[in-house]
Amino acid sequence: MTDTLAPKPSDDAFAATAPLLKADNLCVGFRTDAGTVNAVSDVSFEIHPGEVLAVVGESGSGKSVTALALMRLHPRNTDITGDVMFDGIDLLSLTDAQMRSIRGRDIAMIFQDPMTALNPVFTVGEQIAEAIRIHNDVTKPQAWERSVDLLQLVGVPEPKRRAAQHPHEYSGGMRQRAMIAMAISNDPKLLIADEPTTALDVTVQAQVMEVLHDVQEATGSAMMLITHDLGLVAGSADRVQVMYASRLMETGDLDDIFYESSNPYTRALLESIPDLQGVKESLEPIPGNPPSLLNPPSGCAFRPRCFMAGEECAGSVPELITIEGHHASRCHRISAMPAPVGVPS
Amino acid sequence: MSSEIDIPGGQDRTDTEVPVFSAGGVEGYSADEASHYSSAEVEGLTEAPASFGRLAWKRFLHHKLALAGAIGLVLIILLFIVGPMLSDYTFDERNVAERLQGPSRDHWFGTDEIGRDLFVRTAQGGRYSLRIGLVAAVMSTIIGTLLGALAAYFGRWIDIAISQLINIVLIVPALIVLSIFALYFGRDAFRLSIVLALLLWTRIARVVRGVVLSIKEQEYIMAARAAGASHLRIIFRHVLPNVVGPVAVEVTLLLGTVIVLESTLSFLGLGVQPPNASLGTLVAEAKGNIDNDPIRVLTPGFFIVLIVLCVNFLGDGLRDALDPRSKNEKG
Repeated sequence: MTDTLAPKPSDDAFAATAPLLKADNLCVGFRTDAGTVNAVSDVSFEIHPGEVLAVVGESGSGKSVTALALMRLHPRNTDITGDVMFDGIDLLSLTDAQMRSIRGRDIAMIFQDPMTALNPVFTVGEQIAEAIRIHNDVTKPQAWERSVDLLQLVGVPEPKRRAAQHPHEYSGGMRQRAMIAMAISNDPKLLIADEPTTALDVTVQAQVMEVLHDVQEATGSAMMLITHDLGLVAGSADRVQVMYASRLMETGDLDDIFYESSNPYTRALLESIPDLQGVKESLEPIPGNPPSLLNPPSGCAFRPRCFMAGEECAGSVPELITIEGHHASRCHRISAMPAPVGVPS
Repeated sequence: MSSEIDIPGGQDRTDTEVPVFSAGGVEGYSADEASHYSSAEVEGLTEAPASFGRLAWKRFLHHKLALAGAIGLVLIILLFIVGPMLSDYTFDERNVAERLQGPSRDHWFGTDEIGRDLFVRTAQGGRYSLRIGLVAAVMSTIIGTLLGALAAYFGRWIDIAISQLINIVLIVPALIVLSIFALYFGRDAFRLSIVLALLLWTRIARVVRGVVLSIKEQEYIMAARAAGASHLRIIFRHVLPNVVGPVAVEVTLLLGTVIVLESTLSFLGLGVQPPNASLGTLVAEAKGNIDNDPIRVLTPGFFIVLIVLCVNFLGDGLRDALDPRSKNEKG
């Protein structure tokens, strides 16, 4: 049990050099009757072994689609271009069968709604055991035993009894723990957590994030954490990328984004988070709604809602400009950005 | 029918879902939940996976009407099998001297126009009807479930092709096809069952297609794909188990339909041929004399109704039992 969960030696050896996952110019377009919708445009990023990358953005910004495209779980009417290298393998060129052997074993996914992501007709233990048996040649009792261990690992009390229960006998938080147990059952190199706590209430959110963090550390796997909750990101991510209307708006280390953001959209998102010290008098919501991807505004997609928008913003889509190290931002008026608010006391 | 008796996912289901806020937060909640179970039950569940079958069986036993249906069906089958053994007569033994007798100690259901014992003939005919019904129902379930699931799961042209096939088969008038078939290809029970199955699978297929269409959009199907499961594995492991409930109901209703349809055919003289009998031929044989001797029509008719009723009750109970969300925690 413990030895299988220990970080693989290869993870450490390559941590400094090779990224585990590298996406280059990833584009995902959905063909619809009304035309092609570019849900992800020209997105490039890397995830290194053991690292937590948070992908932040509003609904419809393309963050979940990015994740599904990595897993190749997108719908049929989809065009994907770009390169996705995972652990030396070009994911987009694999056959369906090869992709299946990677899903769940090397890349595992945790879904948003634990209420519906478990099959109601099987016990939780059976479902975890099945996830194990898809990729490992073990007997049912062995897989069952391991699933009980996994439930224990993710903090499900009385795992032996709980494993034999059906999903409807679990609370929301417990189900998400079970989903996490299932996701780590094959000791994946990359965990993709798609809004893992959105469907849970706040106290449970914190516990589930803690579990997620613990197992991620215990297994040494990398994690792509998709969320719209910047508060969640602050506590758990190493690097952050902010998406808006299918594009990366800003990417950087946690501190770059939180304290030295050079992007008006990121700034606006930060303004809309409540803060515990009570320094803020009122929260500043971002006016308006995200644009339709069928008919995006000319130039910068955030322009109509941006407090800094100027004439040049309507002209062309701004480039992603590297500021320092990992930190890059997509904004025409980057030089006109007011100084960062700085590190709160 | 009696679908209102036990609404799946009714009262009991919500119990565990209502958050109980206690001092211990989530852990405390779980502890609260734990207290619903006796320790004996916990012991029993520790080693092997608690079988879904056992839970379903427990729920089934709580469904009084279904239990009655099952017991009734077993009794009828026993009567049909054991009954003739206890009788001194065989189904085609004629005794013209004793023709057209009413029920008596010798002839429990009386005798027919050529003096055959009607109890033995009813039992034999009932077996015949049940066998045809069962074989046809099982075959149409297999055909219907597979085609319905394939259509819904893969969609696109597969769905279009199968749906059109369903529509075509649906507009085929069953009685006429069966009559023609019986005239040209003979009338033995097995072939009759096959034709019935080929005509009746569409009902199952439509039910399965509808259910699978909604199931395949569920997130757990996506989760199974994300876990690396193949399409076949997803269909058989994740989709079809969710279909069992609706299909069980449909199959039992179908069994009733098949028995009635076979009886109709036999009544029209196109089904089972003499000297064999089915419940339908028994009614047909007796119909000429219905004014003087209604009991001869009523006995086989009674068994047709009784079998269909029992089977429908059974189906109702199965649906509740096989739906893991309609929990019965009383036991």
